[in-house]
Amino acid sequence: MLRYAVQRLIQAVIAIFGVLTIVFVVMHFSGDPTLLLVPPDASAQMIAELRHQLGFDQPLWVQYLNYLGGLIRFDFGQSVVQRIPAIDIVMSRVPYTMMLAGGAIVVAVGIGIPAGIMMATRRGGWLERVLTAIVVTGQSVPTFLSGILLIFVFAVTLRWLPTSGSGDFASLIMPSVALGALSMSTFARMTRISIIDELGKDYVRAGRARGLSMGSVVTRHVLRNAAIPVITIAALEIGNLLAGAVIVETVFAWPGIGQLAIQSIQSRDFLVVQVIVLLISFVYVLTSVAADFVYALVDPRIRLAR
Amino acid sequence: MSVRLTSIAAVLLTLASSAAFAQSKDALTIDLSGDAATLDPHLQWDTNSYSIYRNIFDNLLTRNPAGEIVPQIAKSWKYADDKTIEFEIRDDVTFQDGSKLTAEDVAFSINRIIDPKLKSPQLTQFDQISKAEVSGPNKVTMTTKSAYPALLAQLVKLSIVPKAYVEKVGDQEFNAKPLGSGPYKLANWQKGVQTELEAYGSYWRVKPPFAKVTFRTVPDASTRLADLKTGKADLIGGVTPDQAAGMKSETAIKVLSAPTERVGYLYINAEAGPTKDVRVRQAIAYAIDRSALIEALLAGYGNPVNIVGAKPIFGYTDKVEGYAYDPEKAKALVKEAGAEGAKLEFLTSPAYNRATIEAIQQMINEVGLNVEIASSDQATFLKRRQGEPANAGSMAFGAWSCACQDADGIIFPLFRSGSIWAKYKNPQYDALVDGARVTLDKNERLAKYEQAYQILKDDVPGIGLYQAFAIYGANTKLNWTPTANEAMFVTDMSWQQ
Repeated sequence: MLRYAVQRLIQAVIAIFGVLTIVFVVMHFSGDPTLLLVPPDASAQMIAELRHQLGFDQPLWVQYLNYLGGLIRFDFGQSVVQRIPAIDIVMSRVPYTMMLAGGAIVVAVGIGIPAGIMMATRRGGWLERVLTAIVVTGQSVPTFLSGILLIFVFAVTLRWLPTSGSGDFASLIMPSVALGALSMSTFARMTRISIIDELGKDYVRAGRARGLSMGSVVTRHVLRNAAIPVITIAALEIGNLLAGAVIVETVFAWPGIGQLAIQSIQSRDFLVVQVIVLLISFVYVLTSVAADFVYALVDPRIRLAR
Repeated sequence: MSVRLTSIAAVLLTLASSAAFAQSKDALTIDLSGDAATLDPHLQWDTNSYSIYRNIFDNLLTRNPAGEIVPQIAKSWKYADDKTIEFEIRDDVTFQDGSKLTAEDVAFSINRIIDPKLKSPQLTQFDQISKAEVSGPNKVTMTTKSAYPALLAQLVKLSIVPKAYVEKVGDQEFNAKPLGSGPYKLANWQKGVQTELEAYGSYWRVKPPFAKVTFRTVPDASTRLADLKTGKADLIGGVTPDQAAGMKSETAIKVLSAPTERVGYLYINAEAGPTKDVRVRQAIAYAIDRSALIEALLAGYGNPVNIVGAKPIFGYTDKVEGYAYDPEKAKALVKEAGAEGAKLEFLTSPAYNRATIEAIQQMINEVGLNVEIASSDQATFLKRRQGEPANAGSMAFGAWSCACQDADGIIFPLFRSGSIWAKYKNPQYDALVDGARVTLDKNERLAKYEQAYQILKDDVPGIGLYQAFAIYGANTKLNWTPTANEAMFVTDMSWQQ
């Protein structure tokens, strides 16, 4: 187990280092970032001055070392637009993103797993058909459409929920549903497939032969075994939900990091964009490492394999 | 019994609702597409930031609804000579902490924004000022580097900040907790979420119309409209032309719009490629159907323009005739130039509306040219657009505003040779716009700009397409007339019961 853990951690460190380098390269080869920061009527002299202040006139390798040095000291630079440390701006949005991801996970797991169980155990009935329709809708309607539809139905027409905002619990509902829909479908499909897989196995027939009801076979034995692939998916979905809320946050005016990313790109605040890209990459790497660990913990075959 | 109860309930409801109606509206909510980037008025000046902080601060001068420059913190002013101007400062203004606004604060505000150490993005607008000094009780003398006719137009945007407070708390803290002399003071700034302002009771000019004003950050245009429809917002900015057209059928909300000084234009490379031939540039000018662009893409929220500039700017002239839509003439010119099928590169980036770019491409292709759209990220786009003529493509679309309502802020940076945007050289033109920049004589300036615009018409290094409109959505009870400079002063608004 220890050997496996060390291997995975080393891989993660390499992945993060790769991300840092790619972010740097993309930023510096796509054009001169100075031009993005100056007002449109800036003189050539002003541009040169700013380029010097920001160090963009230095050789690329010097800039790269400075950049890595800054990261080690946890110095991500100052937002050129807001004039406060970029890391502070991003961190102030993290709680909102986590709240929204939490809401979406509740939707995804709370609806997806029971729906998957139903679909697997009540095959061929009307319930399965209804649930299949919901699952297909959830995975095929893009969030920019479902978000606007939700607002139109529940906020503008029925007036049950607030149209936008982040102040109270009610305003968390629609964004969570819009964001969680895709993951909900993933959970439902995964749960359904792994339960159907398990149901075909000998221990189920053995249990039924011992006189256990179908319900108790499912709840006592099948669910536990079917959980393994679902846990893996869950870890990956958390990464997706934390990173993939750009559209939902924009539509519902939810002040998370996805919305911040768009705003920062528009206002040309590239140091903030850089912190967000790093943070999201970090979350992805971390959740996939966590998924590997959880998988190894529950399934000894993984950690013993070479 | 039940009938009686119902009727009592009905009476109570009526009473309750009439009581609510009798109260004046005391909280106004405005949805903007973004949060203020800074509340320090000497730093960022994007539309969202200044929509908010201009309610916290007063400016040295301002514009009246007719667009004329009128006193605000400065009572009056007079030129001592071409480069020296003396302002008399009001003595009845206080900052929101009760301290008096003095000539010291005015001089400090000017010297602060022109200090290179502040690195203000607004520096280019004020860098013709060399210094400001207190020259007597309530008197400030400002010196410019040369005679500078756009000075007053720029000072309309100069917010007065309190010297003592800024020096005490420092720039960073001042940005987080701004303090001004305006009608509203900051109550709470939840960055990225909303900015709450409350009325400053001792405001010198008028009684602020609402006790509380909240600016919410709502990036999506459809969501802003939903907020307006449900009453969550009373006023929304950044309404799209399509939405505005759709809102006309609604009764509880209305569209407010105003023609602005912003002009949609097409730059055409006069120094490289097929467009080096003036006939090709003229052909492009004749090929574009401005009315069709305005009707189809802006839902009518735009006015055609004859020059690269719109009516609200100083230097605008209707004496220069624009290019009328004439595809036949355009075809003939292309033929004459031997440029049939010539490949023209149309630079753009995601910052510009793709439909507009494609419509223009289509129109130009129809007269026998071959336009290819080259879309890249904003950084690459700017690098090419502002770089060497040979690599700057054949044309690009843009929407320009200097927020100064003066031709100097438009055609000088766009076409004066040596400017990063100019891909055009004409010494005669350069002399005219240089001259108009250093004389205070209004008539002389107007004459120079008229000639300059005539040269631009003949040489076509770019053409004006339309005057852009600012479009807002508002509750029908809100009274407000938007202005050409896209300002959002809450004191100009009122609520109709």
